[in-house]
Amino acid sequence: MAYPYVSDHEVQIVSKHFGDPKQRRVDTYVERGGYQALKKAFDMGPEQVIDVVKSSGLRGRGGAGFPTGVKWSFMPKESGKPHYLLCNADESEPGTFKDRELIRWDPHQLIEGCLIGAYAIGAQHVYIYCRGEFFEVNQILARAVEDAYAKGYIGKDIMGSGNDLELTVHQGAGAYICGEETGLMNSLEGRRGQPRVKPPFPAAVGAFGMPSTINNVETLCAVTHIVDNGGEWYRQYGTEKSPGTKLFCVSGHVNKPGNYELPLGFPLTQLIEEVCGGMRDGNALKAVIPGGSSVPIINAEEVSRCNLDYEGCVEVGTMLGCASVIVMDETTDVVKAVRRMVDFYAHESCGQCTPCREGSAWTAKILRRIEDGRGTEEDLDTLMQMTQQMVGTTICVLSDSVAAPVQSSIEKFRDEYLALSRRGERVGAA
Amino acid sequence: MSDIPFKNPGWAGNTGEFDLTEEQVRGDDFVGDRPKHGGHASGAGTLPYMLADKHPEAALFEGEYQERFEKILTRYPTKQAALLPALGLAQEIRGHVSPESMDRVAELLDLSPAYVRGVTTFYTMYNKRPVGDHLVQVCTNISCNLAGADEVVDAFLRYTDTELGETSEDGKFTVIEAECLAACGFPTCVQINSRYFENVTPDQVPQICEHLKSQGGE
Amino acid sequence: MADMVTLTIDGHEVSVPKGTTILEAAKTVGTEVPHYCYHPGMSSPAMCRLCLVEVEGAPKPMPGCVTTVMEGQVVNTQSEQAKSNRQGVLEFYLVNHPLDCPICDMSGECNLQDYVHAEGREQGRGREPKRVFGRDDFGGDVLFYGDRCVMCTRCVRFMSEVEQDHRLTVVERGNRSVIDTFFEEGLDGTDWHGNIVDICPVGALVSKDFLHKARAWDLTHTPSICTSCSQGCNIDLHTRDNLVQRIKPRENLDVNGWWICDHGRHNYEWMNRGNRIEAPLARDGASSRALGWKDALRGLLDRADSLDAGSVKAVASPQSSNEDLAALKTLVDALGGGDIVYRSARAEDEIPLKGFPGLARRQDLAANTTGANLMGMARVGADDATGGLDGVADYDGIVIVLGDGLDDQPESFGQKAGLYVYLGTHESAATTAADYVLPVGTHAESEGTFTNRDGRVQRFQPALESPGMARPAWLILGALAGERSGGSVARSAGDAFAALAGSTPAFSGISYDDVGSRGAVINESVSLTGD
Repeated sequence: MAYPYVSDHEVQIVSKHFGDPKQRRVDTYVERGGYQALKKAFDMGPEQVIDVVKSSGLRGRGGAGFPTGVKWSFMPKESGKPHYLLCNADESEPGTFKDRELIRWDPHQLIEGCLIGAYAIGAQHVYIYCRGEFFEVNQILARAVEDAYAKGYIGKDIMGSGNDLELTVHQGAGAYICGEETGLMNSLEGRRGQPRVKPPFPAAVGAFGMPSTINNVETLCAVTHIVDNGGEWYRQYGTEKSPGTKLFCVSGHVNKPGNYELPLGFPLTQLIEEVCGGMRDGNALKAVIPGGSSVPIINAEEVSRCNLDYEGCVEVGTMLGCASVIVMDETTDVVKAVRRMVDFYAHESCGQCTPCREGSAWTAKILRRIEDGRGTEEDLDTLMQMTQQMVGTTICVLSDSVAAPVQSSIEKFRDEYLALSRRGERVGAA
Repeated sequence: MSDIPFKNPGWAGNTGEFDLTEEQVRGDDFVGDRPKHGGHASGAGTLPYMLADKHPEAALFEGEYQERFEKILTRYPTKQAALLPALGLAQEIRGHVSPESMDRVAELLDLSPAYVRGVTTFYTMYNKRPVGDHLVQVCTNISCNLAGADEVVDAFLRYTDTELGETSEDGKFTVIEAECLAACGFPTCVQINSRYFENVTPDQVPQICEHLKSQGGE
Repeated sequence: MADMVTLTIDGHEVSVPKGTTILEAAKTVGTEVPHYCYHPGMSSPAMCRLCLVEVEGAPKPMPGCVTTVMEGQVVNTQSEQAKSNRQGVLEFYLVNHPLDCPICDMSGECNLQDYVHAEGREQGRGREPKRVFGRDDFGGDVLFYGDRCVMCTRCVRFMSEVEQDHRLTVVERGNRSVIDTFFEEGLDGTDWHGNIVDICPVGALVSKDFLHKARAWDLTHTPSICTSCSQGCNIDLHTRDNLVQRIKPRENLDVNGWWICDHGRHNYEWMNRGNRIEAPLARDGASSRALGWKDALRGLLDRADSLDAGSVKAVASPQSSNEDLAALKTLVDALGGGDIVYRSARAEDEIPLKGFPGLARRQDLAANTTGANLMGMARVGADDATGGLDGVADYDGIVIVLGDGLDDQPESFGQKAGLYVYLGTHESAATTAADYVLPVGTHAESEGTFTNRDGRVQRFQPALESPGMARPAWLILGALAGERSGGSVARSAGDAFAALAGSTPAFSGISYDDVGSRGAVINESVSLTGD
């Protein structure tokens, strides 16, 4: 059951045990069929495991949507070097709160997925990089790992299979940019968490200079079930190009915000109206950000045409990202919302690349000035053109993420910006 | 926002169809008190390092803390990788990461002090200067913002009689804004030291602060 | 022979070894791709984003400093996209960069000025208040103006990768990031930190010694060789008003890379010393007379002829050029032969630059000890360059001193000599008894060569004008030798060097053309001594 609300539309694969504290205990987990997938994986062999995941069509659930099986197959076969599997639990994208729930209700599901993934790519050590603010979550996870070691599911000769795997939980220290794959690797190595230039890619040179693969929490949780039930089973949900289910984190002006696990391709309007109980206070819908603050904002008309899968979102001019649906009603001050998001990026920029370091701070300053009523129409042209200079010119895509809300909001809600500029009038509630 | 009444102010335990105690949601019965020596090495680097109990003059890494530090070192192929956990451990003991702490950690890990300073200042959660007993971090990012996070910040500032980032006169509170804490379904989320308070509204602020002052928090 | 890759850059076909970056490949066709964070002597983080070039078929512009060339690639550094990228990045720099040009030392040799002038926007669009960091004293010779910093992190990487003493770091992140040291530790105690001022592309890191001293466009650059030790780092002397204002290293991958140590860098003020001997002096007891050169040299030789033939005792300086030393040797032989000794200072330790093997501040603190040794001169005295001249001080024959200041010797030095000739720049107590005091130029005022510890002969050019009637030592000594022996007299430094090459096996076969601007190593069969 998804926590805190449940909907009949849900297909609960990874979120089945949300809200059940007993699920954290290793005995309960095993009773309910846990660690069977790991056993199956060992029996299949690593190549087979990768094939099963490939056949399921599972795409990375952290936002990039890259096919997981394909990513695993990039790892070298006979490198002779230690391989690492990294689990990205540094959930910091505004609007996203699924990984936190996944870890605190069902930590063993993640652990099993990590072990299966590590086995498949030939890794001996798994690092779960868990964000620093998640103190409570880290405690739950650390205790679950300890129990799994005690029962022989991690460590030497797991379940008598002859396979050795180690797992370490690594705490972050408060940096959104460490959720970027190479930023995470740098942070794990004890450096400033600044993304690296690619090439070389992580499968060649990753954590500690060794071949590494990094996967999101939700992806690895899904892997556990895919290996248990088969690739075809996963494909019965979702669409052809975006198979399976996704945890949608809905927040904002709806009656029942929370996590909902739905098949991909679910219509956005249905999500808001049926699953989430409709707009709060019956207000009209103004805008939605369907994939976390890094994707373009869509207006009410586009929402009505939007299906929530990777392709469907692209069709209406946005992206699915990590499926964090932020719903804004008519009382929303769009300029303030965009300004706050850009403030976030300016605060979190690592500062390496000139366009991002200077551009994000500059954009934030201009938006503050507009919000104060001292903006001009020229500022809007500057913002549009200047943020375009930030797209595709940097090492990572935080820079592009600044451009997305700014450009989409100026295009679709220009009158709000102009109203502030011309008359100092704010549209919507302050 | 749904307005289901709460048993305790500022947490999301019994929203929706659930009726769980705070301990059940947070897993207190499952986890309990973590031993200072870190327990199993796999999780030795993950103890909370924002505590109300601060000892700025305490020695770094003696006794059980030394044991934990050594366990942490065994989990990584390089000494340098233990830097973040080591800094967290220093902050757990002393309350913030001072230049002396940076120097000592640098010495222990064969790094230069300037390098350690560069890494420490990159991350938000390492306090570079002393803070109040309770560090109140209010998320004001987009989802919580849409639910009125600015008013919650104002309420905290008024109640503690401080400016943003300043410590109150009695040394108990420092209030800062935080970025998304990943509890967007339960706005407004406030992290106080190591603990999350969810669904916080301005009128709950006095209650929360009194609770902290009386129990000491964690 | 490495595999070669052929590609097209701006319409020119280029063939370079596999593994070359686009930026380096572009250099071979004379295209300088603007860049900040890239430096050939350090790692490439590809973070300034100024070197983005358009590569046909690539979805995004590629950073030229790290993208390796591929067969058949078509690269365009002057396309609309590439230019607009650069214009964009330059605009981003100017958003927070203060308009300090009128008070900034870098003005006139500043990359930001040059790039913006060439390709920047005509009008700025930034209207917001700029972020401010203020001025920070990093210790040593370095001042840091944080507002001007473009965060290329060359300085951080130099200290951590080349000097391998990680003293600098980036503090904070995003637009709040700034370069700093570990609080008060600063750069004190490091020996190569002056190089970070050279590699800083803007005026964020400046030399305290050079602060507000001279404008870059007033300076004349003259290639020279550092004389602080036997490494022989290639340098440029920057002069104005006939004074050396500062020293900068000159690139030579075989000797010093792009670097120079702080000791050498700041050892130039002696070249500006005034109060020079400005005319040949003839002494007779307590009185001195200034003479013209012809009279002085004739008088000197007449005096030498009047003495009984005996061997000559000469004192040379290891800071004299090969040409000067060779001419001295020729003269000593022409006067009947004799011993030539020299004193040189030695440091207790070497100070290597760990990240550039083969480069160090050497224990031998003179530029041409190797040259002196190859010509058969012997070292005497202590490591602080004193003493060792007992045999010479009371000698009753011919005594010739070239270049050695004799600051430790008493007034009675050379009193008993039949003929005591001193060639140098300043008088001291020990020149009181000299019969002839002849003014010579410093190496900064002459053309010539030094031989470094690895046997590399390197040329230096005159950067200053000699005062008064001072002349190069090789010319004076050569003229005397020519008169005495009847041989030809070298009229140019090149001729003087050719004479050396003809007479000394180690230098045979080398001419000034061979030495060029990079130096030439002497014949290997000759062994080298000293360091």
